Amino acid sequence: MPNALQLTGIRKSFDGFAALTDAHFEARWGEVHALLGENGAGKSSLMNIAAGLYAPEAGQLLVDDNLVHFAGPRDAARHRIGMVHQHFKLVRPFTVAQNILLTAPAPAEFQSHGERLREISRDIRNKASELGFEIDPSKRIDALSIAEQQRVEILKVLLAGARILILDEPTAVLTDQEAARLLQTVRGLARGGSAVVLVTHKMADVKTYADRVTVMRGGRTVATLEPGATSVAELVKLTVGESVATQGFEPAKSPRGPVRLTVRGLRSAASPEGRRVLDGVDLELHAGEIYGLAGVGGNGQGELAGAIMGLPDAGGPLEGEIHLSGHGDLKAMPAPERRNVGIATIPADRYGLALAGSLSVAENYAIGRVHTGRYGPAWHLRRRRIQDDTQEAVRAFDVLGVRSVAQKAALLSGGNAQKLVLAREFGKAPSLVLAHSPSRGLDVRASAEVHARLRAARDGGAAVLLISEDLDEVLQLADRVGVMTRGRIAGEFAQPADRQAIGQAMVDHG
Amino acid sequence: MVDATLAAIAQPAQTDPEAALRARRQPLARRRYALEIRQHMGWRRQALVLAAALLAGLAISAAILVAAGVPANELANEFVMQTFFDGQNLRAVLFQAAPMVLVGLAGSLAFRARFWNLGLEGQMIWGAIGATAVSMWQIGPEPLRLPLMFAAAIGCGLLWVLGPAWLKIRLGVNEIISTLMLNYMAANFLLHLVYGSWKDPKDNFPYSPQFRAFERLPELGAGVSSAIALAAVVALFAWWLVGLSRAGLYLRFVDANPRVAHANGVPVRRTIYGAVLLSGAMAGLAGLAVAAGQEGRLTQAFYQGYGFSGILIAFLARNNPLAATVVALLVAALFVTGRSLQVFYQVPFSMVQLIQAIIVVCVAASDFFIRHRLRRVGAEAVQ
Repeated sequence: MPNALQLTGIRKSFDGFAALTDAHFEARWGEVHALLGENGAGKSSLMNIAAGLYAPEAGQLLVDDNLVHFAGPRDAARHRIGMVHQHFKLVRPFTVAQNILLTAPAPAEFQSHGERLREISRDIRNKASELGFEIDPSKRIDALSIAEQQRVEILKVLLAGARILILDEPTAVLTDQEAARLLQTVRGLARGGSAVVLVTHKMADVKTYADRVTVMRGGRTVATLEPGATSVAELVKLTVGESVATQGFEPAKSPRGPVRLTVRGLRSAASPEGRRVLDGVDLELHAGEIYGLAGVGGNGQGELAGAIMGLPDAGGPLEGEIHLSGHGDLKAMPAPERRNVGIATIPADRYGLALAGSLSVAENYAIGRVHTGRYGPAWHLRRRRIQDDTQEAVRAFDVLGVRSVAQKAALLSGGNAQKLVLAREFGKAPSLVLAHSPSRGLDVRASAEVHARLRAARDGGAAVLLISEDLDEVLQLADRVGVMTRGRIAGEFAQPADRQAIGQAMVDHG
Repeated sequence: MVDATLAAIAQPAQTDPEAALRARRQPLARRRYALEIRQHMGWRRQALVLAAALLAGLAISAAILVAAGVPANELANEFVMQTFFDGQNLRAVLFQAAPMVLVGLAGSLAFRARFWNLGLEGQMIWGAIGATAVSMWQIGPEPLRLPLMFAAAIGCGLLWVLGPAWLKIRLGVNEIISTLMLNYMAANFLLHLVYGSWKDPKDNFPYSPQFRAFERLPELGAGVSSAIALAAVVALFAWWLVGLSRAGLYLRFVDANPRVAHANGVPVRRTIYGAVLLSGAMAGLAGLAVAAGQEGRLTQAFYQGYGFSGILIAFLARNNPLAATVVALLVAALFVTGRSLQVFYQVPFSMVQLIQAIIVVCVAASDFFIRHRLRRVGAEAVQ
């Protein structure tokens, strides 16, 4: 098979930090080529160069064995390269069709905007059913779940004419079934002649779906292999440089305590069509247990998390109750107060809810405790103490890439940003932990650390609600598993749970 | 890796895609410059870039003034010597600067809460009306009169912005419209007062009766009004508030991302209310600074231009209170210089506004160099 895309000797640094030192990569037409590596290994940077977003400092980029130079994503698109980013690039208040129209090639002859929109909507529907899912082109992006938004992204690059498709951590947000379907779809695209680059750190995906795999570590390409001829242990070793034992389910060390959180009949306001995003959620969460809430994205998980966090836009007024033992109804409790009663939150959207990227690491750390008076009275911020505390927390939680606590939080890689969130939320022993997709986009090692922290919180007596679309994660961590479909808990399973039964409950819309 | 994903190449866009493609396929011999997003720049270098932009703006302005007939060798003299080293002019600058500093601080505080307070003039008018009412109705004994005028100015300025703040926070009403419209209401009410019941009975001119001596901001000596001291105190307060207090941290979070702020327990609404109401109070004080510090009475057009100046100052200072103070002094100096240029060289006053605009554009453009970096890409990258 001829080469579709080749990158050789790529070098790239950001603000003096070398993200890529000597990276090589090639993908052939008709193959699914996985790009494997830890967080910060340089996978995304390398692919951003292929997609025309970054210009390399050194090295060459070839498409179809011709040297090319991209002045931007538009040039990459002209060479039929399309990338689906881990953090989606969609205009949230626009509809699906409008978003796709933005990048779609101009029509051959004049069309009115209305005609064009109708045509693109038709194309969207056709392409979607070709790929095996349904999508409403007139829906606004902010009304879609993360999994649905990803489909829009894929449609967007395909309808823009991409034949070299780069997917950055595409399965991070999907359930097993969804991920399997997505990967089968992209395999189909590859069999149809396209080249697919799968940026991932999931060994299972690589083993099952990739024709070849390139492993990156520390900004360099380590090896390119055939996954069929390589063991998972070997891949893990190449990725992390050492063996990391994969953890199985570990039950709580002590029996669970009394009920800490009771959710009863929680319903959100009905949409004009009469649909409720939360439609009678009943849930009991005990102290000293991890309750794993599995389910396909967009079944109300985000809204449930928002309701517990006390976000103002959790879908209008809620009916029912969220009772925190000893503190009454959470719905009436203002968000600042929730922190006082020991609720720790790890939201799914790291830079949308957890961290202010433009502020410093120290400020992001201090915001969690400043109201307690630890950093001085209201009229005086003890900045020295904030710095010291942050430095200590950064060390204790092994947040890497912090040159100074005054640096912007946005400079941290995904895994380290999440560790900073954990450092802040777990600084004081919490009584209730809400973790929503806490290891989304994290590598093996960072995920393991996040999981260890959640277990430690449970063993320290906290009630942990783990909402995750990653069934592996739920099964590894949870003492009890609930499945959320259509805004309610469709089933509960005791551990050890039957994976098949849970998967079935996720897709049963009964 | 951070996903700052925008980066472009500073190569002129080639309109013909075919030609562009051909050009790219060939090994490029010429140098290329890459334009990248800069993640972080130290404050020293930021200050340097700002100073360079300011200098560039002044240089362009100087060129324009020379073209307009001001002798080049006189420029430095007019701009620097006459303004800052001549006692009388320096007094004029300080006189002009006090309300400018106050509106600049008012603007920057509200903008820090992402509240676009375009109603600085309206709040200023109400501040002056409040102070004048205390004087007209002779509320309180003599020694308490001035403090009461302060309280009235603060209270009235604050109340005038309370409505838009409430509408914005509760109902999502765009504050740009509401604050701007309220300016007209305040201005017309001011006219109603000075042409009506508050008209000076002595000469029937449309302004209020003169304030008594103890109702005016006292002189500090050497002809300098205490208004500038008031401005300095407020500036220090604002500096402490945004930099050293807990509210300042809250404000930074509200500014950076209100959703993150809310999820992390920042009392977002209270923070916005606090910043916006303080902004109104400061604008009210600016009204008092003009009425009781400059004019000695309530006049019909005292507020004109301050709203724009306040926004400008806040923008140039990037909402930093100490920088706002310095910028306000510079803007005041520009005004004073402009006035003398007008007198001595028949330069139209619009020239002063032009200079102001040039400096603003230069500083705004300097932002680009703070956020981006231009770097030569090695030739081997494109062989």
